[in-house]
Amino acid sequence: MSEAAGEALDPVVLPGRPGEIPAARDIRRFTAQAANARGGASIGSLLASVYYAVISLGIAIGMALGFTQAMRVALPPEPDVEAPANLSLATLVVVIVVALVGVLVSLAGRLGPVGAGGAEAAWWLPLPVDRRGLLRPAARRLPLVAALVLAILVGLLDAGLLDDVGPRVAHVIITSALVGAGIVLLAALAQSAGVSRSATALAGDLILAAAPVAAVGLALADWSVDEVPTLPWFGAALAALLLAAVAVLVDRRLHRIPTRSLRESGSVATQAVGAAVSLDSRELGRALTDGAASSTRRRLSRLRTARGPATAVVTADLVVLRRSVRHVVQLVVAALVPVLVTSVPELASSGGVLLALLVSGYVAMSATGEGARRAQMAPVLDRLLPLDAKTVRRLRMVVPGLAMLPWSVVAFASVGRWTGDVAGWVVLGVAATPVWAAAAVRSSYRPAPDWGGPLVSTPMGALPTGVGAVLARGPDVVVLGLLPVWIAVLLRHVGPTMVVIQAGLASIAVAVASSIATGTMMERMLASQEELDKAKKANR
Amino acid sequence: MSKPAVRAQDLLVGYGGAPVCAPVTFTLGPGKAVALVGANGSGKSTVLRAVIGLLEPTSGKLQVLGDEVDERDVSFRRQVASVLDDDAYFPALTVHEHLYLTARGHGVLGADALVGELLEEFGLTEHARSLPVALSSGQRRRLLLAAGFVRPRSLLVLDEPEQRLDRAMRDRLAARLVAEKRAGGSVLLATHDPDLVTAVADRAVHVADDVTRVLAPAEAAALISRENP
Repeated sequence: MSEAAGEALDPVVLPGRPGEIPAARDIRRFTAQAANARGGASIGSLLASVYYAVISLGIAIGMALGFTQAMRVALPPEPDVEAPANLSLATLVVVIVVALVGVLVSLAGRLGPVGAGGAEAAWWLPLPVDRRGLLRPAARRLPLVAALVLAILVGLLDAGLLDDVGPRVAHVIITSALVGAGIVLLAALAQSAGVSRSATALAGDLILAAAPVAAVGLALADWSVDEVPTLPWFGAALAALLLAAVAVLVDRRLHRIPTRSLRESGSVATQAVGAAVSLDSRELGRALTDGAASSTRRRLSRLRTARGPATAVVTADLVVLRRSVRHVVQLVVAALVPVLVTSVPELASSGGVLLALLVSGYVAMSATGEGARRAQMAPVLDRLLPLDAKTVRRLRMVVPGLAMLPWSVVAFASVGRWTGDVAGWVVLGVAATPVWAAAAVRSSYRPAPDWGGPLVSTPMGALPTGVGAVLARGPDVVVLGLLPVWIAVLLRHVGPTMVVIQAGLASIAVAVASSIATGTMMERMLASQEELDKAKKANR
Repeated sequence: MSKPAVRAQDLLVGYGGAPVCAPVTFTLGPGKAVALVGANGSGKSTVLRAVIGLLEPTSGKLQVLGDEVDERDVSFRRQVASVLDDDAYFPALTVHEHLYLTARGHGVLGADALVGELLEEFGLTEHARSLPVALSSGQRRRLLLAAGFVRPRSLLVLDEPEQRLDRAMRDRLAARLVAEKRAGGSVLLATHDPDLVTAVADRAVHVADDVTRVLAPAEAAALISRENP
């Protein structure tokens, strides 16, 4: 930053000699130069990072394309069971795109989209420089990322699942990129106009919830499309021009975004990025949930059902779940996924239905564990209650169990409709419900990712086993505890024995999730052996 | 500067429409200091956040330097300096560079010399080349305070500046704030330190749930001592 003499400043107390206020670019450059000087950054290291990122992205896209193409090849050309409602594969892709748009709007609301977190908020925002210059890089970054992500995801679905090729895929990719960038730019415009971040996030959640509901409606109405709709070329060009105009408008209004909004957005983005980098999905969930929390005062819950310590725990979990729109939306969306999959002729195979049950069940289960996740983060309230830790964990399974019950009924009924035995499948689903509740609590109380464990070399790079072991807590219960469901879906038949075995496995899952022991069984055995050895030595 | 630095009339502040304290009324003139006192959670910091534009008032009137509060306005940011409890720093910038960035960002010429003086005054000279991660909690607090003094200002807003400072540094801070008033600057601070109130404040405002009262500094200091025996 150069020092040039300028006009006298207005403030009364003037330390030093007054000069010209530097340009925002100078502030950014000064900060970046200092960081680069200490970080040893050079053009070479920058190019190496870009090269590594491009190669990694290319490999990831190639693998995902291969997976979707393999999935298409595996799909039966005709429905192997007559379904009462039908939805074409292209319509399903459109539904997924609408859901992705909802996710994007929701994320844009939660992350700002324009924000300044941590040091930038504390040291840059109070400066009397033109804020547009300070915020411009952040404001440009998110629309570009959104365009890239939506283009890649929709392109993969189009090229992989729908088997489109050449110009058609390019057309879909360009349309998706425009939609992605446009959504974030509009969210930024709303932010500069004073629309609250929680309102934007809520709009995204509602779009996300509406996608599967609309899809079920379309299936019942027997209305489908044959291909993913795209903008005509001249329309795309026009849309690009329009987006450029919106981008200019956003740029001109950046200085109108209040500091409090920038600080809140920046704080959420920093927390979310940190959680994503350290693979801490629990922390990521907390960041995104708190990031959309409305500043409006909550209606006071009378907690009428809290009549003792046990009911207090359950009531608290219920209030937490009820107050989180995102998680309620997540539950609704997850319940409709199996309905959709069993309605799309090409997807209604054993593999597709099983995948839909497991993935949507896991997503729904994650939504129900919010109370347990918060209690794990701040256990002080639990410790004030006259309950032992095991009992608290068992009680924390009540709300996930209650919330997963309607999910189980809807999801398993749709599978039952597909196989022609609704009652049998609903009974199996109800018997499996405690497994989901156990998985919710087990994953909520898992320790922080352990990066200190040994690394295992894989074709995709080094895999930290410690992190893998921690992240497997919760999914392991789902995979093992639902074995009868796996078998039933693959056989397309539910028998009384399966229900009994499922109920038995559910009680084992509950016992496992109630355990307060830390570490694996092997680690615990080694620890107790060490204790024994020490005791022997002491006796000698 | 003839206009009051802060004029609050029945100012109600809070979150989501729910006030955190009773309406606050006070005027802070040029070259004067007002201390906000009250128990933890009484709403002192929330009032300060409204004054510096980080929070929209629920109701009432609030003017800073004669205008409505709008921190998006460049002239507001030039005149109002604030030191809150932000414990965030650029990890790759040294102590000296943080202060230099603030001074130069406000157009101060000869920033190097000024930064040197402030580092000396706040006992940070030895840490001038240290990164924030190498500083203790008290040293980081002193860095934040120094940043408040390294830039031009008409109004200085401080949230519990005595936190994490030893006695000697608190006395030095009090002397600094008295000098600030003499130079024509206004000081609005929230504090739990009775000595800081008597040394610096011309008046105090007791912030509470039921009613807020304007007190003489000695009266406020006695109140703090009673509340924190």
